[in-house]
Amino acid sequence: MSEEKEVSRRDFLGVSILVMGGLIGLGFLVPAIAYIIGPALGRKESQEWIRLGSTSKVEVGTPTLFKVKIEQQTGWIVNEEELSVYVLTEDGREYIAMSNVCTHLGCRVRWISDENKFFCPCHNAIFDERGFVVSGPPPNPLYRYEVMVEEDQLFIKEI
Amino acid sequence: MTELGNWLDERVGWRQIWDTIFLRKVPKINWFYALGSASLFLAINQGITGILLTIYYVPTPDHAYDSVQFITTQLPAGWLIRGLHHWGASAMVIVVILHMVRVILYGAYKYPRELTWFTGVFLLLVVVGFGFTGYLLPWDQKAFWATTVGTLIAGTPPVIGDWILRVIRGGQDISAITLARFFGVHVWVLPSALSILIAVHMYLVVKIGISAVPKRVRKNNEREG
Repeated sequence: MSEEKEVSRRDFLGVSILVMGGLIGLGFLVPAIAYIIGPALGRKESQEWIRLGSTSKVEVGTPTLFKVKIEQQTGWIVNEEELSVYVLTEDGREYIAMSNVCTHLGCRVRWISDENKFFCPCHNAIFDERGFVVSGPPPNPLYRYEVMVEEDQLFIKEI
Repeated sequence: MTELGNWLDERVGWRQIWDTIFLRKVPKINWFYALGSASLFLAINQGITGILLTIYYVPTPDHAYDSVQFITTQLPAGWLIRGLHHWGASAMVIVVILHMVRVILYGAYKYPRELTWFTGVFLLLVVVGFGFTGYLLPWDQKAFWATTVGTLIAGTPPVIGDWILRVIRGGQDISAITLARFFGVHVWVLPSALSILIAVHMYLVVKIGISAVPKRVRKNNEREG
């Protein structure tokens, strides 16, 4: 006769209840976690090309300001936001598009043509026409968008 | 594991409570006796999924509908959570009523279980209250008009009817106030009432023990048939 311990009815039912309860618990837990962390998983949604306008508006050698309205969706709420972008070209073929948001603390920089520099009003930061830091506290040059030119129209995209 | 169990038992005495609840003696019963446990399971389901829904749901006319749509179509497993709450609500009403029918037909409400029955009656009212207040929350056409009709019915008694209607709606019309108070009742008032009543109901079930299936007793002079 085998020496194996017989599983009693009581033990069998106990284990069955534990297993079923565990499965039901997992059935709640896994969807619940996905549901809660869901909105945090989505990366930046604005991965589409944004049309700025005609290339003919851009003066060679001078950063030109473009303002576009973009729709930003958070959850079920759609907000309209204005995006301000400086576009610079030195030869009419290669374009760089820079955000006007100072990389220090997020103030808006302005192009002062007399000085040929960008100035930030908050902490006197200065950037050159290509967006590199000349002086002041900013840790990085101005943010650059990816640029595409199609049929004389400028498009930008967040990298 | 057993050591930890012993350690805890010495300090809180949980084994006695566990044995009282789960190892109590029951008479020979049938599957109809599972309807009470099924009601409890559904209540827990409603609690879990309801709490999860409040993470995104916003009870204002501006956002109620859109936030429900967001939950259903945009969030991972949102359709599942809302579906469980939606269908669980209907199942709850059905199962609770079947549970009550079993108790009636088996005469299980009789001495000494009258108080279990009374708490059960109030539990049924609470469940119906959940259904009524929860129905408005998606704030769609069906919700709005169902609540219009439901509150009008509440307003039918003579003399005080109009007053009742205004109290339920929070004014003459169904508005942001109605939505907010239905939400408040649905997630705070009724869950508190339900928890307390379930606790008393189950204490009595454990304390008194459950009734056996009634037997047909034939008198000697009665014919078989």
